[in-house]
Amino acid sequence: MKRTVISSYSTRKALIRFFQYLVLIIATILIFVPIVILLFGSLKTTGQMYSEPYTIPNPPHWDNIISIITSPTFWNLMKNSIFVTIITTTGAVMISAMVSFVLARLRFRGKNFVFNLFTIGMMFPINVAILPVYLVLIQLDKLGFNLVDSLTGVIMVQIAFQLSGNIMILSSFFTSVPTEIQDSAYIDGCSNFDFFWRIMLPLVKPALAAVASLIIIASWNDLLVPLIVLNSNELWTLPLGTMQFQGQWSQDLALISAFVTLSAIPTVIFYFFAEKQIVSGITAGSVKG
Amino acid sequence: MFKKIFTLISLVLIATFVLTACGPAAEEVTEPPVGEEVEAEEEEVVIEWWHISTKDPALSDWQKMADDFMAMHENVTINITVLENEAFKTKLNTDLQSGSVPDIFQSWGGSGLAEQAEAGLLLDISEYLDADGGAWRNSFAPGALAVFSVDGKNYGVPWDMGMVSCWYNKDLFDQAGIDAPPETWEEFLTDVQLLKDAGITPIALGEKDTWTGMHIWSYLVTRIGGEAAFNAAAYGSGSFADPAFVQAGEELMRLIEMEPFQPGFLGATHDEMQATFGNGEAAILIGGQWSPSVQAANSADGVGVANLGMFNFPAVEGGAGVVTDAMGGGNGFAVGKDAEPEAVEFVKYLTNVENQTIIAASGTGIPVVNGAEAGLTDPNMLLVQQGFAAAEYFQLYYDQILPPVLAGTINDATAKLYAQTATPEEVAQEIANVAAEQ
Amino acid sequence: MRHLNASKLNLQSDKSPTLRPRKKETLFIILFLLPALVLFLLFVIYPIFRSIFFSTFDWNGLGPATNNIGLGNYKKIFTDQVFLKSMLNVFIIIILSLGLQLPLALILSVLVGRDLPGRNLFRTMFFLPYVISEVNTAIMWTLLFNANPDRGLLNAVIVLLGFNPIGWLADSKIVLMSVFFVLTWKYFGFHMLLFLTGIQNIPLELEEAARIDGANGFQNFFFIILPLLSRTIRTSVYMSVLGSIQQFTIIWVMTGGGPVNASETMATYMYRYGIVRHQLGYGSAVAIIMFLFCLIFSLLYQRLTRKPDYLTGL
Repeated sequence: MKRTVISSYSTRKALIRFFQYLVLIIATILIFVPIVILLFGSLKTTGQMYSEPYTIPNPPHWDNIISIITSPTFWNLMKNSIFVTIITTTGAVMISAMVSFVLARLRFRGKNFVFNLFTIGMMFPINVAILPVYLVLIQLDKLGFNLVDSLTGVIMVQIAFQLSGNIMILSSFFTSVPTEIQDSAYIDGCSNFDFFWRIMLPLVKPALAAVASLIIIASWNDLLVPLIVLNSNELWTLPLGTMQFQGQWSQDLALISAFVTLSAIPTVIFYFFAEKQIVSGITAGSVKG
Repeated sequence: MFKKIFTLISLVLIATFVLTACGPAAEEVTEPPVGEEVEAEEEEVVIEWWHISTKDPALSDWQKMADDFMAMHENVTINITVLENEAFKTKLNTDLQSGSVPDIFQSWGGSGLAEQAEAGLLLDISEYLDADGGAWRNSFAPGALAVFSVDGKNYGVPWDMGMVSCWYNKDLFDQAGIDAPPETWEEFLTDVQLLKDAGITPIALGEKDTWTGMHIWSYLVTRIGGEAAFNAAAYGSGSFADPAFVQAGEELMRLIEMEPFQPGFLGATHDEMQATFGNGEAAILIGGQWSPSVQAANSADGVGVANLGMFNFPAVEGGAGVVTDAMGGGNGFAVGKDAEPEAVEFVKYLTNVENQTIIAASGTGIPVVNGAEAGLTDPNMLLVQQGFAAAEYFQLYYDQILPPVLAGTINDATAKLYAQTATPEEVAQEIANVAAEQ
Repeated sequence: MRHLNASKLNLQSDKSPTLRPRKKETLFIILFLLPALVLFLLFVIYPIFRSIFFSTFDWNGLGPATNNIGLGNYKKIFTDQVFLKSMLNVFIIIILSLGLQLPLALILSVLVGRDLPGRNLFRTMFFLPYVISEVNTAIMWTLLFNANPDRGLLNAVIVLLGFNPIGWLADSKIVLMSVFFVLTWKYFGFHMLLFLTGIQNIPLELEEAARIDGANGFQNFFFIILPLLSRTIRTSVYMSVLGSIQQFTIIWVMTGGGPVNASETMATYMYRYGIVRHQLGYGSAVAIIMFLFCLIFSLLYQRLTRKPDYLTGL
């Protein structure tokens, strides 16, 4: 009797597994089609890209990739992108976490107002705000802060526009940490800062990793802010680099594909590692359901 | 309730005005004019130059010209910012709106230049053109230079000028039994039918980029109404709903109803249109001087149409325009309001015969300075240059000569003809209404 | 709650037991909010007011704005058929996103779950579309959607199955669906990330207990996962609606809002009339209207879900 229960349970489980894999694999294939086109494209000529975009590159045309990775421009763009992304992400994650902590765990007058103020940022995206933002940068520049044609300017604007969404996500995670933890921490003599730094941040590590991934992607792919703020080619970031393959009347789609593929590699690698953080950070017992 | 909302709105508006008391233009005024500028010989001059030639050979050619100029003038530093076309427009507009202007930048002349000049963002360089008995002015083809003048004052100069014409695949024409390219619109329509009968897609079009279809419509207007109809509508007592514009729409509808374009042309881009033609999947492409090189680059083998021919956009029987009238436009450089004399000197250097010959020889553009056309080696570019030179009336592209509001309206309205969602009268009327508001 | 915290904090401060901690806490709060507030007021709030100001002018953006027309731009926008059409399109995209895109993301997140061998690989792959920039997403899909079956993969498959090729981006009846398909491809990974992080927060014991009690997968999903994910889902819905209202790049690059406004959204409308046609005042007015729509939605949504999300503890 017992045995049959187990075996039927395990057949059922195997069946469910099969079904799970089937759906997931179909989804994966659908997701992969355009990415494969992109990868193929990076090994084709532009003519092949427009005329036979979905065939296998035969023979592979390695010149695209070789010409990009041997050009010093690419590595300079990469360097700037890495710099901007790291500072923007660190800054935005820290600042959002600080605000979220205060909003989620402390009580003060005007809290609702502050929270609502920050949500406003989600309603006014950068692409409609770019002119006023640029005017602010110019004014600050005249006051002696070097923000126009400088990576600092790009970073500041990117952080400002990353705050709203991430404060929203993070404060919901901060709220979910049980109050008992806070109470016992304060009984143990924790200051607010200690509680934030030593207890809260480690607890919401998965959320921080998730938010950091989102910021990295947004910053890494951002075209508009660097375009408007930066003039000097030496300061440009990777998305601006695709411009070298776009003429007035046509674009070099194969080279763009190769360039995009190469410039996406760092973010994919990062996400692969961050993803483990996101899903493994929380030990089941420490957070109440 | 209503009153409350109204009070709220006014409060917000008042707050806004207080907060933003100084407009963007006012900010720039705070910049003190350089008053006691001593005319020292070796004063350091930095020239900001934005151009959109992202690819070689033009990219290197411009760089070399800048380097050479800096070598000749030790006090001059030229900072070049190379931007892609669309990105350039976004960045330039934001910069201009904030009141800062690069010293030298890419321009297409026409209304865009006029808007910038009227806002006081450009430098009048007429006196430089007229110096030495007008030596610099006289070096240009007058029609091309006029594209960069507003009310008789020049704010920039051209460096390239081309035109739209009909490019065709001679092999496909042979296949359809057409022995000579059409000269009139009726012949053109007959040939389209012959091509269709032979199972060949007659025309490649990329109507996602609405200007590709707009070119055909505006060429028809030019053929039917000539210079007079356009000038009357744009500057005089006429309107864009005048008979010439409606009739152009009707003639275009005759073509569209024959279904001459490749399947899915409404969603196709300009690049895809060039690929379709370059791969021999359509017999005719109506496009500018860039078409021969782009269709080749976008084709599977990178060579494109083996037997490429060109004919002028056909004449319409009874129309006021003639078959040699050309529609086109080109590239130039505008000079920003804060440019130093050295910057103008540099523009002059860029457009001298030697450098124009380099531009011609490399296939970057069709030169506009007398004598430089000798540099042209590409037979297709020569065809365009000759067509351009033979034109008695040169119609600048509608989306460059007309203000952006009107240009955008024309692009969007004519797209409705191709989608067959509006009649020629409705389209003409829509354009006329927007024009009347201006 | 404040009482509790305050009294606990008192334990650590030996002097002036009533005043010090509160003052300290206020200082702490100010210090923690300050950097965010400065950046935010400078680069987000001030520009909003600036845009409201711009929106009252008939102005091409160049030179001083002189022709103030009050609410004239707004009047014109709401009488423009194209704008009304773009509102409708945005509404359709929102409905489709909530009805198809989010459920899909949720189902896939549950399927990936937390104990499936190879789940890390799946998670990474599902997130890949989100990593690729919007411009490049649009370019790749434009190639796939090519109407010519020799070029466009989708039509090649359709012809292989014996149907006629479809004008994915050329047919005004289909184009919005094609666009929505790409939006789903691109953004479901984002919502999956939120859901997966949320699922990770659900204690494993809860599911195991339910399973021992005889709950099957569906019961497990509807009675345990769904209720416990409710806050994450609310965040996800909120972001999805706001994102749909503001969606621009993918649509602009793929269709330009066409053919003939068939895929026009408020953001492409703003770009077409504000930027392309050099009507900065008019474009600013559209931006403010989009902003107001988002604001109204947020207020309604907060009312509907009763409490602001950050107050709802688990």
